[in-house]
Amino acid sequence: MELEELQATWLQMSTELENQKKLTNDIIMKMTQDKYAKKFNKISLFETIGAVICFAVALLLIINFKKLDTPFLIGCGIFTLIFLVILPVVVLRLLSKIRNLDIISNTYKETLIQYTKTKNKLLLIQKINLVLSFVYFFITLPLATKIIGNKNLVLSDKGASFYILIIVVLVGLFFFARWGYRSYKKIITGAENVIKELE
Amino acid sequence: MGNKDDEFVLLIQENQGIIFKITTIYTDNAIDQQDLYQDIVYQLWKSYGTFRGEAKISTWMYRIALNTAITRLKKEKRTGHRVSIDQVVLQQTENYDMEFEEKLKILYAKIHNLNVFEKGLMLLLLEGKKYNEIAEITGISASNVGTKISRIKQKLKNQLVK
Repeated sequence: MELEELQATWLQMSTELENQKKLTNDIIMKMTQDKYAKKFNKISLFETIGAVICFAVALLLIINFKKLDTPFLIGCGIFTLIFLVILPVVVLRLLSKIRNLDIISNTYKETLIQYTKTKNKLLLIQKINLVLSFVYFFITLPLATKIIGNKNLVLSDKGASFYILIIVVLVGLFFFARWGYRSYKKIITGAENVIKELE
Repeated sequence: MGNKDDEFVLLIQENQGIIFKITTIYTDNAIDQQDLYQDIVYQLWKSYGTFRGEAKISTWMYRIALNTAITRLKKEKRTGHRVSIDQVVLQQTENYDMEFEEKLKILYAKIHNLNVFEKGLMLLLLEGKKYNEIAEITGISASNVGTKISRIKQKLKNQLVK
């Protein structure tokens, strides 16, 4: 189908659509109400709930920080605090940046470039988050054991099942990280090509 | 309804076909399409008060609708009822014409194969917009519009060969 033929088909469709206008005044005004807009913020809602949970756990950790009595546990505690506070804040900031793009005065090109760059950053943070969550898993084990049970996991006797669990998680982490990196690269490459073409 | 509301409703009534077409090329299922439709109407309503007539109303409308379409945040995977693009296309015409529907399917398949920026250009071209107006909406120069459209034509031809 050549361009001219595509244009003719488009024109015919436009005429048909013109003849079957279905929206009533009432429906149009309903679409302008806030209650409809709210449902577009679902992602932010999930991210906000996640952030609140992270902040609550961070607060719990700060309160119990003095229980961490070895350099290793203190290091784990600091890493966990960074993980629980910085990453959710960065994600929420990027989401808010996307939501506040000026779609009224920006041109299509400007909007596309700004959106794609911010979205790429968001994807990168989410992937880092995924990988770090495995590291976080290992770190929370001694932390939780110390804070809840007041035991030092590193020094205590561990059965074979503990080591099996560690190996299973490490193998899972490897495949998960590889899959995450590949899918991330695929999405980003396409998006970056569009930006390169426009800039 | 106030005067501003009346004017806005009239604008949407007159241009609902355009919004429908934009939502069709930027989504791949009926749920997303309806969401995007509502979002575009909502964004147009939000900015309607600031429209001062410096640009043509159609330029203003296309710009906001296209910008809304490309900046929508949605969940990566939908759990709701999915409708394939075939069904979306078939719902467009009331007087069913098999040959025409087939052509529409090819048309949309070709547009869906373009990248996001090219989709916008293609839509404006099909809408019969002049290069100058396309340039104003998209923010690239009129000569660049020409270059990119030639490239799109080439892509379409290559799709035909494949």
